[in-house]
Amino acid sequence: MRNLFSPSRAALLLFFLAAALLPLALDPRGHLIRVAAMVLLFAAMAQSWNIVGGLANQISLGHAAFFGLGAYTSTLLFLKLGVTPWIGMGVGAVVAGGAAALLSIPTFRLKGHYFALATLAFAEVMRVIANSLGDVTGGPVGLSIPFMGSQPALFAFRSVASYYWIILGLLVAVCAVFHLLASGAIGYRLRAVRENEAAAEVAGVDTFRVKLTASVISAALTAVCGTVFAQFTFFFDPDSIFSLSGISVRMAMIAIVGGLGTLGGPLVGALFLIPLEEVANAVLSSQAAGLSQFAFGVILIGAILIQPRGLMAYWLRTPWAKTRRAAATGA
Amino acid sequence: MLEIRNLCAAYGGPDVLSSVTLEVKAGETVAVLGANTAGKTTLLRTISGLVARARGSVTFEGTELIGRPAHTIPALGLGHVPEGRHVFPRMTTLDNLKMGAFFHRGAGDIAQRIQRVFALFPRLEERQGQMAGSMSGGEQQMVSIGRALMGNPKLLLLDEPSHGLAPIVVDELHAAIGAINRQGVAVLLVEQNAVLALSVAHRGYVLEAGHVVLSGDAQALSADHGVRRAYLGV
Repeated sequence: MRNLFSPSRAALLLFFLAAALLPLALDPRGHLIRVAAMVLLFAAMAQSWNIVGGLANQISLGHAAFFGLGAYTSTLLFLKLGVTPWIGMGVGAVVAGGAAALLSIPTFRLKGHYFALATLAFAEVMRVIANSLGDVTGGPVGLSIPFMGSQPALFAFRSVASYYWIILGLLVAVCAVFHLLASGAIGYRLRAVRENEAAAEVAGVDTFRVKLTASVISAALTAVCGTVFAQFTFFFDPDSIFSLSGISVRMAMIAIVGGLGTLGGPLVGALFLIPLEEVANAVLSSQAAGLSQFAFGVILIGAILIQPRGLMAYWLRTPWAKTRRAAATGA
Repeated sequence: MLEIRNLCAAYGGPDVLSSVTLEVKAGETVAVLGANTAGKTTLLRTISGLVARARGSVTFEGTELIGRPAHTIPALGLGHVPEGRHVFPRMTTLDNLKMGAFFHRGAGDIAQRIQRVFALFPRLEERQGQMAGSMSGGEQQMVSIGRALMGNPKLLLLDEPSHGLAPIVVDELHAAIGAINRQGVAVLLVEQNAVLALSVAHRGYVLEAGHVVLSGDAQALSADHGVRRAYLGV
């Protein structure tokens, strides 16, 4: 219990406190609060991905599939049947969790690159299906959510700050789930699987079930993020919501640059990458076509080369983090 | 205790084991000898439920193991030390050991079990805080055996424990296997090092291309002309 107020926890608490107070300092309808909300939403998405990518060590490049399933499920339920997105969000989570379970059967025997490619293909298939089923999904035109004034029961607000706080709540919840999974009994199983799958199996770990559980939870949380994204932006189309570079790779990238498998990684990663992208766009997009993406890419490569274990490695090297780890292993 | 009847196993191609019949009695150490590709590892993997396509019968204390999910088998009292020292590399020695007791029932007296492993392998006590991946091959093998012992097995399956180790470490392991057996744990030992295997075993089987071609007392096998020429290098 002496670790209750460890520096790591204090830093995390400070982060959430600062995030909760931030809207008071920003123009509630301005651009900056939208960027801040996006930082938190991408942190939540990356943390959801981190359950599969970091804890189970299955590098998925197809999480956009679950993101899009969440967005389409809640939005279609709302547009066609008038179901509030609050309920649609839960249905989307179930649909995405089911899809993840189905996808697990053929893909969990695959390792490394092959697993990544299979998940990537799954998201691409979803994108093609959404584009071609025009009657249901609206096809390439996408779906718009009509705004009919501020209606909390229908997940619609006039002020960006309301979305911001909902997204912050979502991020806290996803981080709590991640922490419970990482530190609970399933966390030990996942760690055993990650370290050495054969050894885990002969030590009595049902490796398939452990990976399946992580995968379903990760997909369900990602779908919730998808619903929130759809409500926040009021519009999405298949190419943006099932995007490989915009969603799938970005979720993985944020977690990896921040620190794979760590609780703080996705927070640090999103805090670093999303504003960086914004700045690169603002400063460079008027200079030459593609220059901002180029600069962003160069910085990303640099970050990975300089610290392959992610930005969290810098925190773990500080004396505060070290004392905590020493205390934890000595216990 | 362990009875194998007409066991056939394959990975999708031709049978790697054909009609193997083998028995381990309580308290016994049984060696399985054979060249590479004879099917020794497959035999142990099939017992542990890691080979999907198996026919025949493997019963452990009356429980049929064929068709049983692999992760449920350690809890029956069967410990498997896989070939190639599969330790959890980025965990400490102590955590590796705890993992062995963590996942099945009756894992109460963990501290006592750790002491038992440390008594067998004093080096692990010295290195308990070290990352398993950074230890020598022999030490990793000790971790791997220790982890299997943490599940309190009645029967220990050892797959090539001496493989790739220095002679002095092999002697140490050899002594440990004998000590484990004297504690009442039956051992099924797969070895290419027939000298080592027959010196600790009570009985032995010789596997060739998936068939049992010879079996008998360890002493009788050691004296057998064919075994001496093929596996003992004399």
